[in-house]
Amino acid sequence: MTPTLTIALKDLRLLLRDPRSAVILLVMPLLLILVLGLALGDAFGAKPDDRIRISVVNLDAGLPSDHGPFPPGTWSEQVLADLTDTADIRVENIRTEEEALQLVRRGDRSAVVVFGPKFSEYAHRCSFVDEPFKKDPINPLFRDGVQTSALDVKFLVNPTQPVAASVIQQVVQVTLLRVVIPWMIGQAFDMIGTDPFMERMEKHIPELKLAYPFVSKKKLGKGIQDGISAFFSQYSFRAKTWAGLTKSEPPVPRAENRTAYEAGDSGVFGLNRGAARYQILVPSYTVTFAFFLVLTVGWLFVAERRHGTLVRLRAAPLDRWQILLGKLIPCLAVSLFQGFFLLVCGKLVFGMSWGPEPWLIVPVVASTSFAAVGLATLVAGVARTETQVAVYGTMLVLVLAGVSGSLMPRDLMPEQMRQISLVTPHAWALEAYSQLLGNPEPQTDLVWKSCGVLTAFGAAFSLLAWWRMRLD
Amino acid sequence: MTDAVLVASGVHKQYGSTLALRGVDLTVHRGELFGLLGPNGAGKTTFMSILAGLAEPSAGSVTLFGVGSGSRDRDLRKKIGLATQDLAVYPELTARENLEFFGRMYGMRGVALRDRVAEMLAAVELTDRADDRAGTFSGGMKRRLNLAVAVVHGPELLLLDEPTTGVDPQSRNHIFERVKALNAAGMTVVYTSHYMEEVQTLCPRIAVLDGGKVLACDTLGNLLKLRPAKLRVRFSGGDGWAGRLAAIPGVTAVSPDGDGFELRVDDLPTACARVAVATGESLVALDPDPPTLERVFLHLTGKALRD
Repeated sequence: MTPTLTIALKDLRLLLRDPRSAVILLVMPLLLILVLGLALGDAFGAKPDDRIRISVVNLDAGLPSDHGPFPPGTWSEQVLADLTDTADIRVENIRTEEEALQLVRRGDRSAVVVFGPKFSEYAHRCSFVDEPFKKDPINPLFRDGVQTSALDVKFLVNPTQPVAASVIQQVVQVTLLRVVIPWMIGQAFDMIGTDPFMERMEKHIPELKLAYPFVSKKKLGKGIQDGISAFFSQYSFRAKTWAGLTKSEPPVPRAENRTAYEAGDSGVFGLNRGAARYQILVPSYTVTFAFFLVLTVGWLFVAERRHGTLVRLRAAPLDRWQILLGKLIPCLAVSLFQGFFLLVCGKLVFGMSWGPEPWLIVPVVASTSFAAVGLATLVAGVARTETQVAVYGTMLVLVLAGVSGSLMPRDLMPEQMRQISLVTPHAWALEAYSQLLGNPEPQTDLVWKSCGVLTAFGAAFSLLAWWRMRLD
Repeated sequence: MTDAVLVASGVHKQYGSTLALRGVDLTVHRGELFGLLGPNGAGKTTFMSILAGLAEPSAGSVTLFGVGSGSRDRDLRKKIGLATQDLAVYPELTARENLEFFGRMYGMRGVALRDRVAEMLAAVELTDRADDRAGTFSGGMKRRLNLAVAVVHGPELLLLDEPTTGVDPQSRNHIFERVKALNAAGMTVVYTSHYMEEVQTLCPRIAVLDGGKVLACDTLGNLLKLRPAKLRVRFSGGDGWAGRLAAIPGVTAVSPDGDGFELRVDDLPTACARVAVATGESLVALDPDPPTLERVFLHLTGKALRD
């Protein structure tokens, strides 16, 4: 074993036996995340979304067995597709009505739409015409739009949020109209010219029969249908969909607008696991406390001086670089462990997401640790006493955290301040985490750029520390 | 004792405007237990730092084992053991871990290291506490561990800078025994102290350092001769005692001292016997005052060692 590694293992042992390090580097950030996570509301960290969210419980049992070729899926699917594809609305699927009811009662949702088990069956029976043209017809239309109760649809509404609930109800009304009306028109138009239709016409126009010797009933019926189609040339009454009816391009499917509600652990100590705020709190405090390594490293160097053991090391057959490297390796190891530990805790305890490219977190943690170790060594090279380490170190770390935006969402900072904050390594680390944990499609080039800048910070700090560090 | 292990020649050391060493010339031979006596601030620790390679002389040179100490030669460093004035052990590590760590720093490995650590623990009577953290030790135990750490790698030259600072008499005696044993085993020892008694007890050859200068460097006996022994005598009556005392062989000077006389003598025990025989029943009191380093120091510097 080389002397450097021996020193490294010795210092690692000393760090592990020093409860201060564990408290500062591991316990404190977790406590702060926990306390702030409990104290801050759901809005903290939630990104503004231009899209309206419609929460849905879909209990639709499907179409009746004799449903025919249209629609291709259930009627609830038709409605949801219209919401997501036509109106670009974000549809959130909630598994059970009980869960939805809890969310509404808690005020987490202003309204939730519930498609009952008979929705497809009832929607399929919607018709402008009565028996005998349509068996058990349902007329869902009334003065205000679609009578949702007639279709086994209901709204769970939070009475304290009437405006938001009303907007959701109106959006659903419009979509239901857009789904049901073309279906009702299409069915009715298909019947024009059929024998039952002609027979009904004969009752109103008895002279119609006089034409039959010259033109067949079937041809006459088709002529009527074609005539009406030509008269309403801008519409296709047989289409049964809104796009078809209006002769428009069908909307492009937007699967990204469909999300599933993931229940947080809000019941356990009110943690509300998985809440958006943890996507900001965990990386922010991981970065802030990474730089609290300044205290640990500073104390390690000061203790070596105070105990007189640094003199022994200098008297031993060792080079300066071996002593310094031996002391820095365990600090880097501790910093890396701290970074991964907090992010793992963030996932396991707070339910945070590691984003779509979790492997990219590794270089971010590594480069942040390198920068933190560099800064810590620089402070250790300047400070001579434990008090100096505590005062200078804490002040430096807190000022840097404040300037960088670690103590608040960087999105809240004025643009000018955000630019200024880039003089701190913290800000670059946060930018990288923001991409990885906050952006559904992370810009990896920005992540790598941040890692590069952090590494440059680490190298610059280390060189300064090497120049400033005195072992005597 | 002709093989010089340490040769210091005209060593100066300056810190800013303070001149800590002013031309120190010393030679220590292989197998010697050499004492460096001086008050606080005399320059002892500065000189030891230069010997250990922790500081460079501003002027002059130090040669250890024939090699200049400024060369930072690794083999040379392995030959030197250092026990500093401050305790230099890790309080969070156990005694065994401290010894193993510093043994490894000097290139020791495996069974040899393990055996040597066990030997050192036994030598300083810390075997029972080997796996306790050094921070839980008493001051004396820490000092013993400090000494063990300094010699765990088996150096040829041991530099002990005030190794008994703040220890109880029992631990101090234990350290003395260890130092003597190490020296008896062939290790050259340079021992600094401002405790005259320690140096006088341990070291056959001593340098007196004050104000960064070596005022005297010789064997203990020769140093003591710088200030001859004194003998105070009182008589029950009679005249002419001054002349009669001056005539006794070995008495070099006679001077009145209250109601008696103070004699300067070459050899105190012999002089006592001769004075007793020559004065017979008239002798009321015979008060020998042997020569000490304290008195030598006072003689050399004009001040007491503990001033």
